[in-house]
Amino acid sequence: MKKLFLTTALILSLSAPAYALHPGGTVTVDVNGLVCDFCAQALQKVFGKQEAVESIKVDLDTKVVSIHFNEGHNLDDETITTLINKSGYDVEEIHRGE
Amino acid sequence: MRFILLALFGMGLFIPSVHARPVSYPGGWTLMLMNDGDKNTVHAHYSPTAKTSVGYKFEYWRDDEFTINAVQMNNLLKRWNKKDSQANLYLKSGLGIAYSDNGEFDSETDAAGFTGIAADWEDRRYFISYENRYTEAGDIADFYMQSARAGWAPYEGDYGDLHTWLMLQVEHTPESDDNFTVTPLVRLFKDVHLFEAGMNNQGKVLFNYVFRY
Repeated sequence: MKKLFLTTALILSLSAPAYALHPGGTVTVDVNGLVCDFCAQALQKVFGKQEAVESIKVDLDTKVVSIHFNEGHNLDDETITTLINKSGYDVEEIHRGE
Repeated sequence: MRFILLALFGMGLFIPSVHARPVSYPGGWTLMLMNDGDKNTVHAHYSPTAKTSVGYKFEYWRDDEFTINAVQMNNLLKRWNKKDSQANLYLKSGLGIAYSDNGEFDSETDAAGFTGIAADWEDRRYFISYENRYTEAGDIADFYMQSARAGWAPYEGDYGDLHTWLMLQVEHTPESDDNFTVTPLVRLFKDVHLFEAGMNNQGKVLFNYVFRY
């Protein structure tokens, strides 16, 4: 029984939902123009200066940028769009809480 | 305008093309060391925005034995961001001083300026670019050159992986004796480092390094 409990606990901890990894929440953005590492670095640098942002992940295959926020922080769609435009790229769509 | 762009990209297809992006992200610094059959170049620039960079350029033209020290400004005139590709049109210009002690030029110094356009298109597998430049340096130099590049990536790496490109560069300098050169080269790109190495049809080595931070 104890073994079963530990195994279940381990599986649950490994499959922790995204909000547990990023308690401030995550917004994903479809971005046009992402073709190379320099593009991803540009977004990392620009978003890295934002106090609200914990980290970002850039997926060059799907052209999706995942923005992870610090707890109690967020950026509105207009600000995200401005920052991505400022980095040199275009926003296709912003997804929240899907 | 559309005709001009089509002509530019058309030339890019037939006379394949050139370099790493001349403008970085806002607040980004770039160091470019470029060496080919004609010249050795150092270019360091700062980008206050994603549309402009300003920096220092040094060129040493080995055969004609002259140097140019210049302030160079690059402007992104237009960028086309698509779902799977990106295209850019740049204006690149510099003003500075040329110096030569070759032949009749006995430690001669002249004002120097150059300007040209650069255009590129790339997705994660293919790359084409075209660049031209007119250079005027008083009695020391006065020439036009253009180059183009086509590239192919044998695989699509993820962000942070080593990216490899196989490229072919063609340079055309109408006033030169060997006015066409062809250079097959390899580009390796990882993190903030970009290396290029190749050899042209005259046996001269190309070696470029770009560092961006």
